[in-house]
Amino acid sequence: MATSLYGASEAQDVICVFLEREGDTLQRVSLELLSKGRELADEVGWKLAGLLLGYYRMLPLMGQAFEVGADEIWVAEHPLLKTFTVEAYTSAAFQVIMNRKPSIFLCGATPNGRDLAGRLAVKLRTGLTADCTDLRMREGGILVGEVTGFGGGVLALIKTPQHRPQMATVRPGVFPLKPPRTERVSRAVEIISVTLDEAQVRTRVVEQVVGRGADITQSPVVVVGGRGIQGRFDLLRQLAELLGGEVGATRPPVDSGQIERERQVGQTGVVCRPKVAIVCGASGAFQFTVGIQHADTVIAINTDPEAPIFETADYGVVGDALQIVPALIEALRNSRVAVTSG
Amino acid sequence: MTQVEHLTVDDARWDTLFERTRGAVALCYQCGVCTALCPWGQVREGKPLSVRSLLRRAQLGVPDDHEDIWLCTACAQCESLCPRGVPVAEVFQSLRGMAWEERRVPKGLPSVLWSIYWNNNPWSQPPSHRSRWAKGLEVPRFDPSEHEVLYYVGCTAAYDRRAQKVARALVKLFQAAGVRFGTLGDEEPCCGDAAKSLGYTPYFEEIVQNAAQVFAQNGVRRLVATSPHCFDTFRNYAPRYQADFEAEHYTQFLDRCLSEGRLRFSREVPLRVTFHDPCFLGRRNDEYEAPRRILDAIPGLERVEMARSRQDALCCGGGGGRMWMETSAGERFANLRVQDALATGVQVLVTACPFCIACFEESVKAVGAPNLRVMDVAELAAMAIE
Amino acid sequence: MTYATNEPHLVVCVKVVPKPEEVRVDPQSRRLDRAGARSEINPPDLNAVEFALQIKDRFGGKVSILSMGPPFFEPYLRICLAMGADHVYLLSDRLFGGADTLATTYTLAQAVRRLEPVDLVLCGEESSDGATGQVPPGLAEWLGYQQITLVNDIEMDMSRRTVRGRRERQGGYEILEVPLPAVISVKTGCNEPRFWDYRLKPWAFAPERVTVWSASDMDVDPEFIGLAGSPTQVVGLEQAPSRERKRIMLSGSPQEVAQQLAARLREVLPLVP
Ligand SMILES: Cc1cc2nc3c(=O)[nH]c(=O)nc-3n(C[C@H](O)[C@H](O)[C@H](O)COP(=O)(O)OP(=O)(O)OC[C@H]3O[C@@H](n4cnc5c(N)ncnc54)[C@H](O)[C@@H]3O)c2cc1C
Ligand SMILES: Cc1cc2nc3c(=O)[nH]c(=O)nc-3n(C[C@H](O)[C@H](O)[C@H](O)COP(=O)(O)OP(=O)(O)OC[C@H]3O[C@@H](n4cnc5c(N)ncnc54)[C@H](O)[C@@H]3O)c2cc1C
Ligand code: SF4
Ligand code: SF4
Repeated sequence: MATSLYGASEAQDVICVFLEREGDTLQRVSLELLSKGRELADEVGWKLAGLLLGYYRMLPLMGQAFEVGADEIWVAEHPLLKTFTVEAYTSAAFQVIMNRKPSIFLCGATPNGRDLAGRLAVKLRTGLTADCTDLRMREGGILVGEVTGFGGGVLALIKTPQHRPQMATVRPGVFPLKPPRTERVSRAVEIISVTLDEAQVRTRVVEQVVGRGADITQSPVVVVGGRGIQGRFDLLRQLAELLGGEVGATRPPVDSGQIERERQVGQTGVVCRPKVAIVCGASGAFQFTVGIQHADTVIAINTDPEAPIFETADYGVVGDALQIVPALIEALRNSRVAVTSG
Repeated sequence: MTQVEHLTVDDARWDTLFERTRGAVALCYQCGVCTALCPWGQVREGKPLSVRSLLRRAQLGVPDDHEDIWLCTACAQCESLCPRGVPVAEVFQSLRGMAWEERRVPKGLPSVLWSIYWNNNPWSQPPSHRSRWAKGLEVPRFDPSEHEVLYYVGCTAAYDRRAQKVARALVKLFQAAGVRFGTLGDEEPCCGDAAKSLGYTPYFEEIVQNAAQVFAQNGVRRLVATSPHCFDTFRNYAPRYQADFEAEHYTQFLDRCLSEGRLRFSREVPLRVTFHDPCFLGRRNDEYEAPRRILDAIPGLERVEMARSRQDALCCGGGGGRMWMETSAGERFANLRVQDALATGVQVLVTACPFCIACFEESVKAVGAPNLRVMDVAELAAMAIE
Repeated sequence: MTYATNEPHLVVCVKVVPKPEEVRVDPQSRRLDRAGARSEINPPDLNAVEFALQIKDRFGGKVSILSMGPPFFEPYLRICLAMGADHVYLLSDRLFGGADTLATTYTLAQAVRRLEPVDLVLCGEESSDGATGQVPPGLAEWLGYQQITLVNDIEMDMSRRTVRGRRERQGGYEILEVPLPAVISVKTGCNEPRFWDYRLKPWAFAPERVTVWSASDMDVDPEFIGLAGSPTQVVGLEQAPSRERKRIMLSGSPQEVAQQLAARLREVLPLVP
């Protein structure tokens, strides 16, 4: 069997978490991973390190990472790391890892995190447990990742016994965020120099558009209005915006011109694949439900307890969508305040 | 006629079309009866589906990328009175077939064919869920040594929650009549009506042949279908592929059970109803009386006719593959048909086709007639037993 | 590498997968029971084939289908030929069995090397079985190609030898451009794959359309392929809690229900408050 670039005997007793930034803060999933990483590290008495790549204004990010439990932060600073490109980030992360030789390397399963981890694992010739829904620590510092397959129907437990680092990507939201800690034994920042060549970085960002309606078929959240919402798509739009999603509709509101034809969901409309579909005031006709059958989770709000939509929903609420949607918007707004201030 | 000179005429196209319609396209002598009868004329003021001129263009071999070739619902309204006996819907299917070859098909239609290919149904539903409609019912797997007929459920009744109720009502009726029946469960093959209607004939032929083979392997000699569309395919197309079984629509089968005294209706169903003839049962297969006899045998039920009925019944708009294409709000035949029903003052608009039910139920809401119910003959019949 | 023509060589990686809802974990043996399961082409891979064919429609060139898997994959892969692809390369050998993503990407990469010059390798975003989504970046790394993952639209520029991909991001989108050769992964459902053409079917099913390579036909290091080349090990399998809709009814005042819904949303939508 081929070996990784370094083996278990050379590996250090450290769990390293890739810290992905989003503007001036760390992505929530990175903090979640630090929280979990702390717990796993404590089980075996290891250290927890954060890997931070970037160019400027790194200090506040480090503070955040220490608060959630990192013992050390490995920092590589370089002009080519100012924004994420898979070439520069892979190369820099590779150099840091080869320098520090952590036993475990964790990364959020975000689009960039997956790009990075996928290339890094090959560069290091090691195993990667992808898209984990849980992580456990076994004797001798063996990491076991739980993953799902076959459309979520099968759970598999996967480990990388011999190769190092043991790599895993973890979906956002899997692990809870622990409250920040005040007492810390050590807070070490280690600057690791990396060499990067401009010629390596060949990805060009042609355009980045924010706020322009994403395609409803690709949206992670779709809030669908049926005849029962009486044209109040303004409410649904507010909800969709809060959740980072898009508004869709059944055929009747489209017919009566309340919303564009492109947003019709169903057999003769579009099929969407969101994480969540929130269906308000739609009876649940088959020609409609084929458009949401690939949604991971379906929430239905309908005044009629007998409405067939409830048969194809994960969570159902019998009630007036025009009251429940505003209440939900309110509830989400309040909790957002709670999170950022807490 | 001067316009014709500007058109490019393509002999090869004409030959292909001639061959595919087995010469039928040549019969048309341009009288225009079809255009006048076609229901599209009733919903599209000023721009009817000009069947006659499309046929003329076809005869001339004019490459037709006209989106109108996708409108035909195969209702056979025109065919029933065409003095030359032109199978208009088949001509449209052939034109659609050429459009497939040139990759000029409306969005969404390739997905319908892929769904049949991967899922054995045109509704993108998992093939392993095909027999779920029967949950909690006693529905045995077909066994030729025990069963007199195969109940062919069909994709729509198997998956569409509304149409499932029809299949369940039928099971109740079969049981009440002591019918020894079984189904093919998840192995039931798709009939291919969608592929035929959408004009992808070579694939349709593959599907029917496969279905015929599955039936033969299972020793099926007689089948009863929920949908007139499946019934039509099995009755009129399967024989072209050496199929050795007989197909009936369930209304025909129940009608016989009644006349043989196997099935008796004992409960009153005091409703005023009107029957809508599905095109694929009536005009396409000449069965107008069986469903009416069933309804008339139900005690307490009062049946009235709509102004246009039997040969003149207006199509619901769901045939010819239109179930998989969007029809703009003002152009749905079903809205007019619901008005026809409302004019009779009935409580229930009855039909015997899952496509009709889907179209009518939506139109009943669209035209704001909350007191008109849409039901299937089987559902009313099931109310009348035990 | 020299390019004689402007006509691209497109390689599409296609996997044949069991229909996910038909796979079970045997409760006794704790093994996957996929014997009775129907197979299909991994759905996003058909979207990748469609993009490749659109590029071919526009620029000419050829589309090679590349797959690693057992011999029963073959008839499925031929469907891609009936859609308009030119040739199938099936990497099939017991020695390739049990490969994790490292071994899979290595093996596929060695095949791509053999097919070079290659301009673009297209993959689906993830498979419906393993669903790691790690094959596209891993493949790009072995090959030293550029990559753009999760795109829902692509545009090739053969004169500048670049490819652009559009990917959705939170509340918007971005367009990235990389030089060729590159690896692209495409989002499920981003286009509508053309249906197979019955006129191509007899051609597609002619024996010579498919080339099967075993390990000995390829330049592969036995240490890097199959189970032997896979650092990861599966240590347990379980049937996940039901995939059916839960049908849980929530009740209370609008405010109470809203609180419950907000909590459920937080469970399934990590990126929101
Ligand atoms: C060929 C064909 C193709 C079709 N294609 C599509 C398609 O692609 N997409 C599609 O959507 N439909 C399609 N349809 C139509 C489909 O059959 C249904 O008619 C349609 O989906 C019904 O829309 P709805 O649920 O919004 O309206 P309704 O069926 O009228 O349902 C409205 C619901 O709102 C509830 N309600 C009322 N007030 C409130 C309130 N205040 N709060 C909460 N709930 C309330 C009611 O209880 C009711 O259940 C198609 C039909 C046909 C025949
Ligand atoms: C439940 C389950 C979980 C697993 N988890 C892991 C894990 O965490 N880590 C790990 O290393 N392995 C894992 N595996 C093994 C992994 O599925 C295989 O390595 C597989 O060969 C490639 O990964 P994938 O299916 O996840 O592909 P993905 O990366 O999800 O596939 C993306 C695209 O790559 C292309 N592609 C993938 N496989 C092939 C192929 N054989 N031939 C041609 N093209 C292909 C296709 O275009 C596909 O759409 C898991 C397997 C199962 C069943
Ligand atoms: S009714 Fe018949 S003969 Fe007359 S135009 Fe139509 S198809 Fe031709
Ligand atoms: S079959 Fe019906 S829809 Fe088609 S052209 Fe004739 S009348 Fe019109």
